[in-house]
Amino acid sequence: MISATSSSVPNNLRPASDVMKLERLGSMFASRLSFVRSLMRKMIAERWQVVNTQFDLDGQGHGLAVYRISTPENCYHCVIFCRDLPAELRSDRVIAEAWDVTFAMVEGEVENSLLEQMEANVPLQEAGRQHPRVLVLSRANKSLRNFSQFVEALSAGQQPDPAWLTAVGYLYRTTAVYGNGKFGIADFARLQRNSDFNRPFAAQMLAVYVLRQFSIDQLNHLARAKAPDQAVPLHPELERYLGIGNSTGLGMAPFLINHPQLIQQWVYTRERALAYVREKPATEQTHAKLRELMARALTHLQQTKTEDPEQTLRNQSTAKSIAETVDWLDRTLAHPGLYEELISWAEGQCSLEAQELINTLLIELYPNLVDKLDDELGCEESMDLQPDMKARQLKALIEQKFEWALHYREDCHEDNYWFWYRSIEKEEPRLGVRGAESGAEKELALAIGPRISRCYAKLEPFVANNPNAMVVEFLLAHPGQKDCVRRIQTMGETPYGEIRANLWHRNMKPMHLLRTKLSFFGASRFDPKSDRWVRITLFQGAPLARELCRPGRSLEQLDDWGFPVEPNLDTNHAVQGEHL
Amino acid sequence: MKVSFNELQGLSRKAFIAIGFDEGDANDAADMVAWMEAHGLDGVTSLRKGLDFLLNEDKSHPPKLIYQDADLCVVDAENKTVLGHASLAIELGYAKCRARGLSVTKIRHCHNRMLIVGYLSRIARRGMSVTAFWRNSHEPLTEIIVSFKSGEAEPEICMYGLPSIPDDTEPNNGITLVMVNHVDLLPNLKPDAPANDLILQNQAAMLDWHERSLVDGIEVDQELWDRLKLLATKMLVESSEDSRQGAGAGTNDND
Repeated sequence: MISATSSSVPNNLRPASDVMKLERLGSMFASRLSFVRSLMRKMIAERWQVVNTQFDLDGQGHGLAVYRISTPENCYHCVIFCRDLPAELRSDRVIAEAWDVTFAMVEGEVENSLLEQMEANVPLQEAGRQHPRVLVLSRANKSLRNFSQFVEALSAGQQPDPAWLTAVGYLYRTTAVYGNGKFGIADFARLQRNSDFNRPFAAQMLAVYVLRQFSIDQLNHLARAKAPDQAVPLHPELERYLGIGNSTGLGMAPFLINHPQLIQQWVYTRERALAYVREKPATEQTHAKLRELMARALTHLQQTKTEDPEQTLRNQSTAKSIAETVDWLDRTLAHPGLYEELISWAEGQCSLEAQELINTLLIELYPNLVDKLDDELGCEESMDLQPDMKARQLKALIEQKFEWALHYREDCHEDNYWFWYRSIEKEEPRLGVRGAESGAEKELALAIGPRISRCYAKLEPFVANNPNAMVVEFLLAHPGQKDCVRRIQTMGETPYGEIRANLWHRNMKPMHLLRTKLSFFGASRFDPKSDRWVRITLFQGAPLARELCRPGRSLEQLDDWGFPVEPNLDTNHAVQGEHL
Repeated sequence: MKVSFNELQGLSRKAFIAIGFDEGDANDAADMVAWMEAHGLDGVTSLRKGLDFLLNEDKSHPPKLIYQDADLCVVDAENKTVLGHASLAIELGYAKCRARGLSVTKIRHCHNRMLIVGYLSRIARRGMSVTAFWRNSHEPLTEIIVSFKSGEAEPEICMYGLPSIPDDTEPNNGITLVMVNHVDLLPNLKPDAPANDLILQNQAAMLDWHERSLVDGIEVDQELWDRLKLLATKMLVESSEDSRQGAGAGTNDND
């Protein structure tokens, strides 16, 4: 169900013509509604426990580890297999066939027979047949440089340099995190009635979070194995500053296009949060809090490193805009219309990324308004025809809601430049140049804009000749349009509908698609490796597993981990002396 | 072998696209097969029986509209399976029912009729009661009635053999759909006349089957699975050094 029509709709939602432009979606940041933040809040509030129950690793860190996750109602286990990986086999691509670590999260207990089945199949990933009780299947590769530097430092009784984690914020990088029935694992439908995981990607994010804890435990184990008398454990500030990487490419794109109702719900939820906040009068307290958040985000941005020249320029531009925003806040006193004034000022002065960062930080100010939306990020996905709609109404709907799609030109080379396809190599999604590369006849139907435009071209003469005809009669004349019409009718009823871009256009930037999805996941440190491949960090700054059930800090304090900055280890001496 | 619902649906969709279905028909057909199988109604078996037929049929034309008035329509599927454009005949009946409160749709000359139940579940979800009736013309003569109440996810199904064969033994490979918008048309599916081999499949049994399929997975025939995979492969593009660049990944991840 699309709750856009059922729950309170604020008056000041931003128009889809702004929000759904690919360039703006590709400028989004993680927010407090992102899935990792939402999951952590739930874990803290419900005091979930993540406990290591088996840790059979050798001196090289190879072997088996099992973590038990207890929620108020259920228990799960994350089973992790570590094996030696020759350098020549280490690849982040989906076409890889071996990894440093493979792991899976299962519902319930792990009895011996299940463990044996998992041991035989989880390390094979896509090539295995996974058990239906497996909820999430994933794998990860080491950041070799970080790993060896960290082990070296801890085994020498020293803390690693925090700057290493600022440069690369993790020890492990996942290269795929599978859910929803892939390779025999449980369908999402099974999780929808499970309050632990009925939010989008919650189970996948939890598996990644457990891997983070494992990476800390494995690191300490290796340091101790190397120098039992000298090793020290990782400093708690560095534990928190350590995240999990993710390496991803075009595989993100088909999901975004094939789940438009879900994407609309994600965007709509975020936009509602922003609209609620904009209605609130700023106070001296919220003004001060906003300035504090802004200053932290600025430091985070200034510390973010990437080799990608374009992203470097974007980061610099955003940092410059945010520095100016801090100045603006310093010279603008709190008053009821402060947020509107800030947004309006930013539209004239700041880059798209900076504008969206400001929106993200505004959302951060009002947990009581925003956090109740956590449970509205999901939706029931079903696209249905409205066959009795008049064909002329369908035509009007396209003109009203999908006008952006009608700019596509059938005979324009630039408008038809790319085609999307899946390779026979593990079905890896790829982009090809139409006319120059083979495979266009097998392309994926991802370019919704051109499809709507082609549908409209058939609809126009049909309506002219059959002014009172129903949509089903149009489809009996043009059956190939059924899927497109169903999508137009379904998405036409939603506030944010479709991503407004021609995915065939020569100037289309796939990176924007990747960032759109990753920002909703809660990714930080966008580090593009090409125009269609990116590394990001998840959970950097997040509370540790041991803090979930024995919180020394309040929920509000624990939840305040967005835009983490490099820690200053002023208690280093104390930890150096604390041997494992 | 055991597969998940999502796998069965996804692979079926790819296979249907590979054999020439439009995107919309491929989605619908895959949903129908997976829905039927997950509810214990042998969607996979029906697909296996019909696959050779599907490979050879012309998929470019929708059912031919023979007759229609405000609340009745007759279409000819021209000896094709219901997995293809038959959904449009159902949608036509739905549209007429929305306007008139009741509609009758006759689809003549179609195969794999049991699979239509998978699409009718959508009609019920959209707030309409629908009953399908057809006869299998082989010995013994069997009648099948499937009835969804508005808003309910599972139907009642009644299947029985006739005690005597009527004089009219012409092959009957059509299906009749009655849709009603405001009332429950068939509250009791049990036939009044004495019937042979009466099989009643109720909602509770189907719901139970669905729950079990989510927990245990769905059993599919390995040979059919391999065949679907082979078909789906037709939509994958051969790899080359150039195409490997198309993913945009780096060449070395030993960082």
